[in-house]
Amino acid sequence: MKDIFQDLFNKVFGFFRQAEKEENAKDTAVNRLRVVLMQDRTNLTPELLEKMRGELIELLSKYVEMDKDALELNFEQEGNQMALMLSIPVLRAKDEDEIEDAEAEDEASENNEDEAGENQDEEQVSQEEEIQEEESESEKQESNTNSKQNKSK
Amino acid sequence: MSGRVIVITSGKGGVGKTTTNANIGTALARAGKKVVMIDTDLGLRNLDLLLGLENRIVYTIVDVVEERCKLRQALVKDKKNPNLCLLAAAQTRDKTAVTEEQLKKICEELQKDFDFILVDCPAGIEQGFQNAVAGASEAIVVTTPEMSAVRDADRIIGLLEAKEEIKSYKLLLNRVRPNLIKSNDMMSVEDVVEILSADLIGIIPEDTGIITSTNKGDPIVNDDNSLAGKAYNNVARRIMGEDVPFLNLEEDTGVFAKVKKFFSGLMGKEK
Repeated sequence: MKDIFQDLFNKVFGFFRQAEKEENAKDTAVNRLRVVLMQDRTNLTPELLEKMRGELIELLSKYVEMDKDALELNFEQEGNQMALMLSIPVLRAKDEDEIEDAEAEDEASENNEDEAGENQDEEQVSQEEEIQEEESESEKQESNTNSKQNKSK
Repeated sequence: MSGRVIVITSGKGGVGKTTTNANIGTALARAGKKVVMIDTDLGLRNLDLLLGLENRIVYTIVDVVEERCKLRQALVKDKKNPNLCLLAAAQTRDKTAVTEEQLKKICEELQKDFDFILVDCPAGIEQGFQNAVAGASEAIVVTTPEMSAVRDADRIIGLLEAKEEIKSYKLLLNRVRPNLIKSNDMMSVEDVVEILSADLIGIIPEDTGIITSTNKGDPIVNDDNSLAGKAYNNVARRIMGEDVPFLNLEEDTGVFAKVKKFFSGLMGKEK
């Protein structure tokens, strides 16, 4: 007798638990559509979204310690507007000393980067200028040849 | 007289653009409006079949454009309703046979003589779509509660919003199955409207009567007992500016239906 009741209880309990767990076909469709439409509408690829996520984690970890794997970055629709929703599971906020340390570190690395970056920029600029000069020279040559052709005609 | 030019479009094929066109056109004509339907699906024409006019077509839109006949000569009158006309697509030509400018001109000319010009748009977002939209100032976007149809409708809405000539667009949700929505197996009307955030002009239930009416070449709005026919009639009334509430698609009449519902409810729970 007891076994029968036990069995029945398990079955009923199991049914309710299953019903809770399983997402119905309608909700699956709605959720999948939302994600795909956000991508369609914004032209933002999953790769770019992932890059943005990485940079946000880097920035925010200066101030808070968080569960990086559980951080969620998603588009949500509110009426006609699209919102970028960021959900950050914060483990604890960092204290002032830690933030100052991080800032000092950032500045140090930034200075290094800046110097390197500036040099690179200068090189690039000078290269571009050279290319432009070459182009304008070749244009001149072309127009010269054109005028020659015209004259010969 | 300056008639309203409404393009009926969807992006995805097979969601019921042409059926919608035939039924709204017929319903408007039954309400005493002068209506002309233009089939712009060159090479894949079907509107003539749904209206049962396939044997009466002498000239097509391509003949008009290439000046083999006058515009008025190419208009085919409906069998039942003298208010209703069809300008058929050419079956042997492709989408490039008519340009945006030419379609615009045809619409402008028809606006003088008709209250409504309904343009049946081909599936897709290529030149055929661009042509069909060219002369219109209003649009009806047909979709169904299925993912691919909703996604394509979203794309079409984006394209319509970018067009200055289109002053307004409305959503028509076709092939709705209340039983599947109730069991959470299909997206509901509210889901689709929220996702697309567009105004709704009609909800049409899935109806096997559409198949028989297509086979007969007689639009379902002519059948006063059909629920889909009633829904299409309501769409036509909304187009004319009437404030008509949406049909309750879940209404079950008769004892038998109630008993059946009771049992199907029990069966569903046992799963």
